[in-house]
Amino acid sequence: MHNQSRSKYNSHLIKLIVALIVAGGLGYFARQVFMPASMGTYGHYRGDDIVDQLNVPIRLQTNESCFQCHRPIRQIHKEGIHNSVSCEICHGPFGDHIQDGKKVGVLPVKKGKEITQLCLRCHNKVIQARPRKSIKMIGLPEHLEQKGVRVDHTCDQCHMVHDPLLWINQAKRMMGIKEAI
Amino acid sequence: MIDIKKEIERDRRAFIKKVLGGSIAGSLLLVLPAGAVDIAEQIPGMREEKAVFTAKRFAFVVDITACIGCGSCCVADKAEYNVPDGHYRTWVERYIIDDHDNVFVDCPDGGLHGYIRAREGLPHPTRDTFFVPKLCNMCEKPSCVQVCPVGATYQTKDGFVLVDKTRCVGCSYCIQACPYSVRFISPATHTAEKCTWCYHRVRKGLLPACVEVCPVHARKFGDLNDKNSEVYKILHEPHVISVLKPDMGNKPALHYVGLRREVV
Repeated sequence: MHNQSRSKYNSHLIKLIVALIVAGGLGYFARQVFMPASMGTYGHYRGDDIVDQLNVPIRLQTNESCFQCHRPIRQIHKEGIHNSVSCEICHGPFGDHIQDGKKVGVLPVKKGKEITQLCLRCHNKVIQARPRKSIKMIGLPEHLEQKGVRVDHTCDQCHMVHDPLLWINQAKRMMGIKEAI
Repeated sequence: MIDIKKEIERDRRAFIKKVLGGSIAGSLLLVLPAGAVDIAEQIPGMREEKAVFTAKRFAFVVDITACIGCGSCCVADKAEYNVPDGHYRTWVERYIIDDHDNVFVDCPDGGLHGYIRAREGLPHPTRDTFFVPKLCNMCEKPSCVQVCPVGATYQTKDGFVLVDKTRCVGCSYCIQACPYSVRFISPATHTAEKCTWCYHRVRKGLLPACVEVCPVHARKFGDLNDKNSEVYKILHEPHVISVLKPDMGNKPALHYVGLRREVV
């Protein structure tokens, strides 16, 4: 009697152990199938993603990258007060123009009112919140009226966009005007 | 007569030589890559770092007293990552505080097209007004990483919090967890996306795109282990420096110079 109950008990235990092993095996199999290989290399994430993140293409470069080919503008831009302005903000990203050292597209040239719009991004006087001691602020059309030109003039008709004071200073020198702008 | 013929003959030869040479050189220029664009290292010692994780401690400093709100950073960011319309990895908010201490904040198109109009209809005269550029805070204790159920968002040993696009299931837990609202679900991939401080650029020794294009140098990025770096100097000198929502305990690595208490 005693032995019988004992054997019965054992069979239950064996069934339980077998079920656990099978479940564990299935779990392990599922883990192997569904978990990426590099998961947990450095922490609870896919280690290979670091490489994926590194391979995101660089689309924006520096002004120096543009100047490697566009030499003449380099001198003007570097000597002017706009030397901290990035080429790519007005002209578009380097990646749309050059890829792997080859020209792949032409960047659009801004014209007329688009140029005024670009200038006003930084130089618009009516926008509150600009620090007081910073770049020169301009109100339109007051500035045009004050300078005695037509109010439909665009900025680039007087200011060379890559060095805004280049022509102004040249004209002043020619006219012998000495006062600061 | 013979002399002239000889002369013409020579000229012709020279001309043909020049044309041939020119066309060969020209076609070579098209075929050969014009030398990989070699940009000087902008983060000192970055290109020597070959290990998976750098030994650097990066910090980002935004100078609110310098920002003019031109939105160049937003343009650069959108161009670098082709960020879908209506979503922003970085944006610039305009704060206007009147003399009754009412705070007015606006941010048309995330500042992507700059600020075109003045804020009108304010009941009282303005007391204080400034721009606040926002981006990922790269928290030392990121709550987004903690809540991610699939290990898609993680923190590298050198402090970057990144999103693995292939793991993300788009459950948006991280978007709710982020105290700074820097995350969004990309409509293209249906996965979480956010500013990475331009991890791919930084690891190649370049500055983040927004730092590179800022015309007034309001955004600064560098290594705190390097005592000559600008961010080290700013954080170790007497400035009014603060982080956003310090009470959340996330310990951001993004610091603001001249941050007002009204900014959230």
